[in-house]
Amino acid sequence: MPNELAPYGPLSDRQTGESYLLATQQYKKLPGDLAMWFFILAELTVFAVFFIGFAIAEQLNTDMFIDGKAKLHPMAGLINTLALITSSFFVALALKKIQQQLTKPTAIYLALAQVFAIVYIIVKIGEYQFLFDAGIDIETNTFFTLYFLITGFHLMHILLGMVILAYMTAQSLKRKYQQELSGFEAGACYWHMVDMLWIILFPLIYII
Amino acid sequence: MKVDQLSILSSWIWLIVLTILSAFVGDVIGNQFLFIITVLFIVFLKGQQIVDVFMELGEAPTKWRWLLLSYVILLPLIIAIIYLL
Repeated sequence: MPNELAPYGPLSDRQTGESYLLATQQYKKLPGDLAMWFFILAELTVFAVFFIGFAIAEQLNTDMFIDGKAKLHPMAGLINTLALITSSFFVALALKKIQQQLTKPTAIYLALAQVFAIVYIIVKIGEYQFLFDAGIDIETNTFFTLYFLITGFHLMHILLGMVILAYMTAQSLKRKYQQELSGFEAGACYWHMVDMLWIILFPLIYII
Repeated sequence: MKVDQLSILSSWIWLIVLTILSAFVGDVIGNQFLFIITVLFIVFLKGQQIVDVFMELGEAPTKWRWLLLSYVILLPLIIAIIYLL
């Protein structure tokens, strides 16, 4: 007999279980897809090794790292942090809108996210150019080798993330997320991962 | 924890405040030990917002939430130990 858990007729055992969990609000779903999460975990691991290596190298070359950090612009790092946080904010809002199947607000929020990502890229390139003009590059010393490697690798993730965000924007406008949101969620989580990495990178390289 | 637009907005504001705080905390705290602990604790607070609110892992299976949270707990802790040894 139809009921509120099975309005269209009898359910399988699995469906009954899921319906019960949904009804009791205990159902917890991992956003995105498993493949993306394994990729995210792999990237987090790589960066963890970088960050720990940087901290160890700093302890072994204290004076060099003090000198190196003095040549950076903490304000540029601060602007980049604020830009990435704001970009992530818009991606999170975009997810809320696509969950409501509001295509245009979704695309607008994703576009804003990409605008702030472009702010990040411009500031980062400006930073690099400033260092190059001062005769500093990846071979200058250990500090700058690590600085360019870590921030450059992170920048590559930003660029990949922007491609993903652009793809998500196009797919949203084509209404490709009407049945299934896991692709959108996966892309969003990747972007938040990139933001999270910078949140650790900024104080490590610019502040401490 | 249900993530809605208001919680995303609150989280963003909190992240902005924490970021500005971490940028200028060195001007306020003279003690090196306290400075490093404060900055890395702020990293954890910001990371927790990203994990629970932006990634919406606050609504995800517990093991996944704690896997990502452990990253922003353990990594700052390891870095703090390296700097303070």
